[in-house]
Amino acid sequence: MVSKLEAKNINVHYGTFHALKNINLKVKANTVTALIGPSGCGKSTFLRCFNRMNDLIDTFKIEGDMTIDGRDIYAKKIDVTAHRKKVGMVFQKPNPFPKSIFENVAYGLKVNGITHKKFIAETVERSLQQAALWEEVKDKLHKSAFALSGGQQQRLCIARTLAVEPSVVLMDEPASALDPISTAKIEELIHELKEKYTIMIVTHNMQQAGRVSDKTAFFYMGELIEFDDTSTIFTNPKIEQTHRYITGRFG
Amino acid sequence: MIHIEIELQKLKNQVNEMGSLVGKQIKKCIIAFVEMDKNLAKEVKIQEKRVNAFELKIDRDCENIFALQNPVAGDLRLVFATLKVNYNLERIGDNAEGIAQYVMQAQEKFDKKLLEETRFQEMADNVLHMLNDICTAYATDDTKLARTIFQRDSVVDEINKNATEIIAKYITENHSKALAALYLLTIIRKLERTGDHITNIAEEVIFYVEGKVLKHGKKDIPLEG
Repeated sequence: MVSKLEAKNINVHYGTFHALKNINLKVKANTVTALIGPSGCGKSTFLRCFNRMNDLIDTFKIEGDMTIDGRDIYAKKIDVTAHRKKVGMVFQKPNPFPKSIFENVAYGLKVNGITHKKFIAETVERSLQQAALWEEVKDKLHKSAFALSGGQQQRLCIARTLAVEPSVVLMDEPASALDPISTAKIEELIHELKEKYTIMIVTHNMQQAGRVSDKTAFFYMGELIEFDDTSTIFTNPKIEQTHRYITGRFG
Repeated sequence: MIHIEIELQKLKNQVNEMGSLVGKQIKKCIIAFVEMDKNLAKEVKIQEKRVNAFELKIDRDCENIFALQNPVAGDLRLVFATLKVNYNLERIGDNAEGIAQYVMQAQEKFDKKLLEETRFQEMADNVLHMLNDICTAYATDDTKLARTIFQRDSVVDEINKNATEIIAKYITENHSKALAALYLLTIIRKLERTGDHITNIAEEVIFYVEGKVLKHGKKDIPLEG
């Protein structure tokens, strides 16, 4: 079976800095993979490689093979904009556009040239429902997105990502700026979304990694130290470094 | 030392204290039984309340560590195992109290010849040493020492198994001493159960140190090192 996401001998440099060292990792479809490790270990760099966001950094250089559905995402013929449509991204801080709730979710469709009003309205509603936000905003769709709470804004950003129908959703600490109730909602959402999407999440919250993910990858100083079932990582990791990190002995 | 390490060390210290108390309880109830010392038996019964208090305290401390420290991996296994070690030590304490209770009820000294025939003292010494060693193994994370328990418990099991026939024969020949003989059989059963609890603790020590599950017939793993 072809892995949904695969990294083969991935090396990343930012100028002379060797940020990722020979990373090999396979991710199955419809699973949640948590990337953990101390700051600067390369987990966010690795996450961003999958939607080619690092391309925007001048000194970035990548070697090795990175595939989604078996296709090389760094092949010359790849249309990067089309690729990013298939690989959605949710960031640490909610970043809605200064537009209405409706326009935020419809944005991706409109910039892709879709003008069919009924289709757009249906997609907005479906995306907001998938992001577990519809019930809270259905009566104020044309109000500013900034009127929403932080947790609602983050779910709005998730809805905006889902509207363009990606198959992979990348999340970079999506709940680190949220209160516990909003965090719980995002986590519940991740559970629901994995039925349709393949999710990769960077988190500094060990309990969150335990709660939401099927697999966990521990990165340290640019290396993938251990990758296993989340339950194994948090009960009986095989590598001492992993044990020391997750139990708080170093970081 | 990070905070959770301090909390876990405090937890282990308490279990070590409880283990030491339970060890004394078993030792005293055996002496009380062999010497028919009812005062010592009474002391065991009184001290049982301390064992129970330890159990409640350790349970509560484990609960607090789960809730407040969110232990994972080896730390999680230690707290999880400690809950079970705590339970097993408390049950050993119950057995000591049970033996003390029989001593208090007994009318006369137990027949020394029958004690010899059933290898009672050998059984009692074995159980005491096993208990002492398993407490050391828990305190020092010594899985090699914990693994010696399984073989030693089979000796205790064998003595228990043979006791039934010996005591049945004794009763048919000594009708008037049937009650005392039945008490002895019950006490032997309690020591056998104590051996089982010590074995359970050995499994927990290996579980939390090595992450290996040895329950239910998976003990025949060769000694390491």
